Amino acid sequence: MHQEKKITREDTWKADDLRKHIRGGGREEDHGRRREEYERQHRGGDSLERRPRDPEREARRERDKQREKESTQERKNREKDRHLDRRKERSNDRIGDREEREKERKREKDKVVDGSKYQDGGRESSDKIHHRGEKENRDREKERAQESEKDKDRTKDRERYKQRDREKGAEERDRERRREEREKRREDEQSIERKDRDRRQESDRRDGHKDREHLKESEYHDKRKDRERRERHSDRERTVQKEDKEYREHRRKEKEERERRHRETAPPDVAESRRRDGDSREVARRDHKSSEDRHRADGEGAERDRRRERRRREEVDPKREITERSKDKRSHQDPKEKRENVETKEVLGQSESVWRSSQKELSDTEEPVEKQDPQTESQPDHDGDAQDYEEDFEDYEEDFEDGSESGGEEEEKQTHSQEEEREEREEREELNPQRREQIEAIQRAMKEENERVGSVQTRLSPEEEEERPSKTGGSETLPQQGKFIDFVAAKHREVNKKVACQQKKRSAELLRLIDLDYSITFSLLDLPPVNEYDMYIKSFGTTNTKQAYVQCNEDNTDRGIQTEELENSEKWTQHPAEWNAVCGGPTLSQEDSQSTTKMNVDSQRLATFLRSASQVVAVLLEEDRAERQSLKKLRSQADTLQSFSDGCLQLNTRLPFLHGRPISLVHFSQVQTQTVLSVHSPIQKPSAVRLDSKTIICIWNIWEPSRPQKILVYESEVRSCCFSPGKATLVFAGTSVGSVVLWDLREHAGDHHTLRIGDIDWTLRQPTFSTDAVLAASGHMSSVSSVEVVPAAVSQGGGPELPLLGSDEESSGLSFQLASLDENGVLNLWVVLELPKTNEAGSQTDLGLRPGGKVKLLHSSTLLTSERKSARDAIKTSPPQALLVKFLPSDPSHFFIGTNMGVVNHGTSHGLQAPPKFYRPKMVGARPVDVTSIDFSPFEETFFLVGCGDGSVRLHTVASEQPVLEWTGNTAGDPVVSVQWAQTRAAVFCVLDATSNLHIWDLLETDFEPVVTEKTDADRVTAMAAFGDSSKQNTFSGIALARQSGKIEMQYFSKRFTVPDSADLGKLQSLKEEVFLD
Amino acid sequence: MEGSHTAGNTYLIRPNYQHKFKPAVVKECIRDILKEQLSGVDYDPEEVPLTSRNLADRIKDKLKKMGFDRYKLVVQVVIGEQRGEGVKMAARCFWDADTDNCAQDIFMNDSLFCVAAAFGSYYY
Repeated sequence: MHQEKKITREDTWKADDLRKHIRGGGREEDHGRRREEYERQHRGGDSLERRPRDPEREARRERDKQREKESTQERKNREKDRHLDRRKERSNDRIGDREEREKERKREKDKVVDGSKYQDGGRESSDKIHHRGEKENRDREKERAQESEKDKDRTKDRERYKQRDREKGAEERDRERRREEREKRREDEQSIERKDRDRRQESDRRDGHKDREHLKESEYHDKRKDRERRERHSDRERTVQKEDKEYREHRRKEKEERERRHRETAPPDVAESRRRDGDSREVARRDHKSSEDRHRADGEGAERDRRRERRRREEVDPKREITERSKDKRSHQDPKEKRENVETKEVLGQSESVWRSSQKELSDTEEPVEKQDPQTESQPDHDGDAQDYEEDFEDYEEDFEDGSESGGEEEEKQTHSQEEEREEREEREELNPQRREQIEAIQRAMKEENERVGSVQTRLSPEEEEERPSKTGGSETLPQQGKFIDFVAAKHREVNKKVACQQKKRSAELLRLIDLDYSITFSLLDLPPVNEYDMYIKSFGTTNTKQAYVQCNEDNTDRGIQTEELENSEKWTQHPAEWNAVCGGPTLSQEDSQSTTKMNVDSQRLATFLRSASQVVAVLLEEDRAERQSLKKLRSQADTLQSFSDGCLQLNTRLPFLHGRPISLVHFSQVQTQTVLSVHSPIQKPSAVRLDSKTIICIWNIWEPSRPQKILVYESEVRSCCFSPGKATLVFAGTSVGSVVLWDLREHAGDHHTLRIGDIDWTLRQPTFSTDAVLAASGHMSSVSSVEVVPAAVSQGGGPELPLLGSDEESSGLSFQLASLDENGVLNLWVVLELPKTNEAGSQTDLGLRPGGKVKLLHSSTLLTSERKSARDAIKTSPPQALLVKFLPSDPSHFFIGTNMGVVNHGTSHGLQAPPKFYRPKMVGARPVDVTSIDFSPFEETFFLVGCGDGSVRLHTVASEQPVLEWTGNTAGDPVVSVQWAQTRAAVFCVLDATSNLHIWDLLETDFEPVVTEKTDADRVTAMAAFGDSSKQNTFSGIALARQSGKIEMQYFSKRFTVPDSADLGKLQSLKEEVFLD
Repeated sequence: MEGSHTAGNTYLIRPNYQHKFKPAVVKECIRDILKEQLSGVDYDPEEVPLTSRNLADRIKDKLKKMGFDRYKLVVQVVIGEQRGEGVKMAARCFWDADTDNCAQDIFMNDSLFCVAAAFGSYYY
């Protein structure tokens, strides 16, 4: 290992040198100098010292080479180039070398004394190394041996020579050269003829020139030459693969010849033999080509002279050389060497020999193996061998010279000659061993360098690459350090080799794992061509253009005006202030809603309060005035007042639109007893007020007699009229045209037409709802003779009726039934409905409803009440007529219909036949008498009075067909117009006949004639209605009399007719009992 | 010495993820350099060879600093003049698609276009 390093280091150093050399021409001087130094060292004994090492190195290298056979080819190629370079150097240095060589030769002559020992040692050591190489080459050699079997016919001597030949073939050129060098050095020491060398140098020079030319011509590019060179190189190495057997044989022959000659001389003294060798070489050369000799002879003389001169010149130098050498000492690894360098040359030589022997001893271990080798030569043989090599080279040289001189020879020969030329050159170098060694080193270095540059460098790790430049730098500054650096480089190389091996192995292993594939094609750029127009626009599109805006028809602009938006905000105010809030807005929304609801409630209450309060006030005022007036009137009309009258109140009917109208009906509200309505029939004569054809209904409050509270207007004649139950808010009317109409008195006056008559505005109310033509199908086909409110609660039994009604009113449960009876006996039942809200625009479905009206009628059912009677009264000419309908107050399902046949029919709305079917007079046989009036007693509801057209008055009970009492003839045959029970006394009733006679009956006093009969002739009484409050046990009771003139008189009963008597009811009871007894 | 070499000879055939050649990153890098170097530059046939070389070097240097361990980087920069002709460039690689990758970016202005492509090949 150590030795390897040494060798390789040396090599690398030379590689650096080479590099330098390649870089510039100026280097050559350096080389020259360096070489000189080398020579000096060699002279000083260095060369000798190194000798034993060199063979080892070579052997080692050989081994390496064999290992790296793959790459040798390449390397060889490079070597070739190196050789060329070297040649150049050599040519430069040769002159100086020669002189030095002479000196050395002299020196060596001195050493001849201990030559034998020295040579032995040297030989042995070199042999050992040689053998080592041989061993490795043995296989090849064997093959070669087989090849050379042909030559066996030659002498036995030859056999040995052949062995030697084989050895030679096995050894590579470099090694051979080196060995030759060594040997030649020895030869030099024994002063081998200079001529030979000179000649060689000469030819070398020539070759160098040639080569240089060659280089110029085809320095790096000519592959063919490369190949040739390679071939040549391989030839030189004499590997088995050598192609040119002929050539080899030829050479072998030559060698054999030479060796034979050499043998003949059989030199115990090596120097002699060598000299002889040289001779023989010359001879061989001459043998080979006579022309060569000639040529040599030509130039030799002159050149030799020149060289001699140069040598002389160089002899001056040794001192300098020594100093230089001393510089180099540092770099030498071997301390011995250093020491020796300082000593004189002679001493050096001796010590060297000593050293070499020690070396030999070191290498002794290897010797036995080599000795066992059958092909190992004897030492002298080996010497001869080396000399033979030299001869070989000379031969080649000759060959080459042949080729070069006889220019146009075949190519093969040329290649041979070139190789030989090179060899020749090398041989020439042998002449001055120091130089040669030097050159050898350079060559090696070059080889190594090339090798590395070529193949190894790529594998080098960056560290190594970094290391290298520094080394080369060192070698440049101190060229002789090369030896030291060689070791490092060798180590590198070794390492590199290992690395390479590892990498190779690794790559082999990895390649299995790695999948190389073609990537998809990356589109790096895809720039579509720009079309012409775009290009034009791009380059010229914007030139000479200007952007401008034009508006055609400039003045035709559209203008809009935007005013500021109206600002709306909701505000409310209230008076008087409540909750400390007088006004508010949307910001107080929550409070608003609260306050508004409260306000609503309040307003309702306020309204009701105001209404009632105003009424009270109005009544008070009215009373005040009325009292004053009535006092006067009473006084004035005292004479006209009947005996029964306690006083009289006149309603102011002297209104322009009421003027001349007869009053057909006066009706009191059952609950609001102070409210009375009067129906004023239309008049035929036209008057100033255009209400002629219309019926006017006036609603009066008897406490405000000065003017009617409401004025209701209807287009045609009203046949019957009634108030709603409870509060008198609704007025129903049956008309002669068969319709049922109603007025809602709660409607605001503003909703109705106002007529200005005189100075006063009168509000004329049109009906809120009318069945005119709207409900024609379900309505009446003939004039409605009677409308009556069906009493509400069925099971109330009459007791708590009023409070109930009142509560009903309050809760606005305005829902009750209305019955209307037309003359054909059709009884229609209507449901009165109050709508939850009004619709000012009118209703789409309820066509009879006035816009803004809230109350309407729904047709409930129709009962035909006249059927059965018609069958019985078929003989009668006049059709049966239903004139009146009354309901039993305690049981609204029972109705009583007064007919024109003098009987009262009894029916129920549910179709149940309740006995008796009818109530008839006591007189048997029906006669056509109209029932003009039916009135139930307010105290004993089972009693009712029937007034007939024949002037008879009957008192019936519900349970009996026969009348309890019947009075005829009291009216002198005049038809009874109206029969009215007094409101405060149960046993008192009034009868008005058609002749305006008013009869007042008191059943307690007498039950066969009226107690009072009042006859008024001047102004006939056309209608009568009793008023009074039965619940109030006071004197407020009386009858309203409507006069023909249109006056309405309120006659208050005198005390005897108003003060209730407990006997009244008893009388009635007794009468009832009488009936049952009958 | 040998130890260090053997250490170098790992059998690592895939780069660490963080050392992997990431085209997006590289592309961004290329873009930056192109933008920085070429914005506002007009095509000048005499300067362009130098420019492209400089660009390639800059890109390569920058990429080297990005720590693509054991990657061999190849950067190719092509600058051409924009004269409306169509250009098509493509690349195809024979490589190990698992480790090797390429990134490319284009810079264009009115007078020139520049295509820079960086190929990273993992060095086993």
